[in-house]
Amino acid sequence: MSFVSFRFLLFFPFVTFLYFVIPRKLRWIWLLAASYYFFMSWDAYAVLFLFLSTVITWLGGILTAKAGKRSDGKADFLKKAVLAVSLAANIGILCTFKYLDFFGELGSWFCAAFGVQAAAPRFGLAAPVGISFYTFRVLSYSMDVYRGDVPPERNLGKYALFVSFFPQLVAGPIEKAKNFLPQFAEAHSFDLERAKRGLLQMFWGYFEKMVVADRLGKLVDTVYAAPQSHYGLEVAVGTVFFAFQLYCDFDGYSNIALGACEILGFRGSENFKRPYFSKSIKEFWKRWHITLGSWFWDYLYLPLGGNRCSKLRHGLNLMAVFIVCGLWHGAALSFVAWGALHGLYQVVGLLLRPGKNRLEKRLNIRQNALWFKAVRAGCTFVLVDFAWIFFRADGFRQAVLLIRNLFRFDPAAFWNGTLFGLGLSVPEFWAGVVGIAVVAAVGFLGRGRDLRESFLSRGRVFRWTVCTASVLAIVIFGVYGPISGSGQFIYSQF
Amino acid sequence: MARKTVFKIFAFCLAVGVVLTALSKVFVLKTVHTGDLQEGLYLSDDSYDVVFMGGSHMNGGMDPNVLWEKYGISSFNYATGGQPIAETYHLLREVLQKHKNPVVVLDVFYLAMSDPYGDDAWISIPLDNMRFSWNKLETIRDCTPPSEWIYSLVPILKYHYRWSELTINDLFYDNSARYYAKGFGAGTNRYGKPMTAFADTEEKASIPAKNLEYLNKIIELSKSENFPLVFVNLPCDYSDTDKDEDWVDDCEALFNTVADLAEQNGIPFLDYYDKIEEIGLDFPNDMNNAGHLNVWGAGKVSAHFGNYLKQNYSLADHRDEPSYAQWWTDYRKSSAYCVLHLPVPSWV
Repeated sequence: MSFVSFRFLLFFPFVTFLYFVIPRKLRWIWLLAASYYFFMSWDAYAVLFLFLSTVITWLGGILTAKAGKRSDGKADFLKKAVLAVSLAANIGILCTFKYLDFFGELGSWFCAAFGVQAAAPRFGLAAPVGISFYTFRVLSYSMDVYRGDVPPERNLGKYALFVSFFPQLVAGPIEKAKNFLPQFAEAHSFDLERAKRGLLQMFWGYFEKMVVADRLGKLVDTVYAAPQSHYGLEVAVGTVFFAFQLYCDFDGYSNIALGACEILGFRGSENFKRPYFSKSIKEFWKRWHITLGSWFWDYLYLPLGGNRCSKLRHGLNLMAVFIVCGLWHGAALSFVAWGALHGLYQVVGLLLRPGKNRLEKRLNIRQNALWFKAVRAGCTFVLVDFAWIFFRADGFRQAVLLIRNLFRFDPAAFWNGTLFGLGLSVPEFWAGVVGIAVVAAVGFLGRGRDLRESFLSRGRVFRWTVCTASVLAIVIFGVYGPISGSGQFIYSQF
Repeated sequence: MARKTVFKIFAFCLAVGVVLTALSKVFVLKTVHTGDLQEGLYLSDDSYDVVFMGGSHMNGGMDPNVLWEKYGISSFNYATGGQPIAETYHLLREVLQKHKNPVVVLDVFYLAMSDPYGDDAWISIPLDNMRFSWNKLETIRDCTPPSEWIYSLVPILKYHYRWSELTINDLFYDNSARYYAKGFGAGTNRYGKPMTAFADTEEKASIPAKNLEYLNKIIELSKSENFPLVFVNLPCDYSDTDKDEDWVDDCEALFNTVADLAEQNGIPFLDYYDKIEEIGLDFPNDMNNAGHLNVWGAGKVSAHFGNYLKQNYSLADHRDEPSYAQWWTDYRKSSAYCVLHLPVPSWV
């Protein structure tokens, strides 16, 4: 059941209505049932793996706490052993579904490099929906309990709800137990003002996804489906469109998820903060998929030593984190290359920083100058967008081909109408461009301001007009339905 | 507070619903059948003594203007391409809202369709052009899979993609532009190939359950609403659909079953597949393609069928009635006049 489906538009109000009318003691049970139903509507058999991950980490939490109370000197060893089993089991399930074929291919390739011919069998297992997200959620719980940051949850049902909570199940945000688990013990009452805010956020998410992302996706799909046939401007526009498609797709999903959480009374974590306004790659990763970045920071980057080590080690840590981050997104060399490229950007950025600082001083450039910020944001966007080629291409070789074709430039493409033959008609193309402008404008206006609060403080006529017009805009200009829609979110595949 | 909130939500949904319903008319795909159905079902003041119901074979096979010119019979062709029998049943109920006790001529070809729903693009044509009513809701329920209900109920959700191709024609669509054809639509192509011979058989093939259910409903309706029912099967090359996944394999055997059912219920069944020689149909020249008659073939079949109606039913000859003067004006635009060159009587 995708967020972009009529089933969800019936499901969510029904779940919300019953959530607020049934006795408070029963509410978490209702949400758990709804979440498992939601998950099973995607993939009924995969619920076994969701449940398995839940039980393993829940038991792990209880046993870790028990081991921690021992005073015979074995506490540390036992805690580590429990954590190791819990991590191994969950990473094992994730790897089996997601990486088995990839590692098999790598093994074959490695053997072939040494002259040994060994064809690895292909299993072609379909990964349960959201496995990368809920696995990271349970891993964070296990590590938080091990570190003593959160007490273990004694109630298996409430813990299962934390793992499977339907607004965040398919593609995050990846909540940490310490932030989210305690919220299931809170008593939530229906609050109209809060519901309005949540609805507005959901509306905006639907606009981003249906009006912008899925429209841009048509051109992107056309270009990336036949990389050998597209050159210069076509690849450039396809790649710029992909940058906004991906952002609007994932930010749209996150906004729908967070809006749904807010209506139910939960406070979810922000996942995006105008990432394409970032002035450096480092800043980009503080604004893009924030909950994933935070996960890697807490559970991989810092344990590896972070930046409190030699420069070489620091660089290696960055590379390791970003390569794993690439691999998390997909079992393919192109994703590894995408992650490695971001790692490389950061390492090069670190190496160039002293020289860059000196140059800025010598040229007397004010850091706060608008033009300077715009240039930095533009450069960062170009770097990020270049890396997206690896993210979107169907494999490493296709990415290389696209990059090669990107520089085979035909200026006639500016005026001969080539761009309008890439899956979008002239009005559809410009609607996509206007969509990007609207998203950018809303991002720009939202700097340091709560746009929802501003909107809700306006007069009733204004609010009603804008709301009705927004619904109509989504209905008319949205890409959905039996003829043109896909309804799937890009990140739900990871 | 709660009551006020519920009222606000209701008012908002109502406002959006009203606007979407109004916009749906503009966005709905306009096909050759749009005006035909609007005029035939709701807009025209004409009354019809005979109505033709069914799929594309019927739509391109029975020309009301031939019946008019030769016998003065007023008729209308409500058939549309790919129309499953369940939808024909509901469309007939819609027709009967305005036209009481006409001779209903039913094309039985789609009884052979084994898919419970058929192609959504075809089903949409009658559905999109039916006004909101209980019958429409039942049509949606019976003729479309549940996942498509919302799109049939609020068509703009299906046709919103047309925003970039809308023209002024969508806003002010002229339903009457093609009314002269009275719903009939056949091509002027010459197929050029002989018919694949299918051996006669005494075998009987079962009518798919859903089709049989709705055929029985049509028969029941003819009894309760007191209108004569005639079954018709039009000439076609069965090899066109034979062995299709969603089609009964042996059409001849299926129509044997239909003949039995017709006989049991006292319903005449004219199988023009078996009357090709009798009506002098030249298959390569009188077919538009393997499955559909062309204008000339339709002329021959319609003339024969008009004669059958005249012989077997007491249908008035309206040709010299002043209130039907417009029918002659319409006739002069029709393919019967322009292509077949059938004459206009001197007294008109």
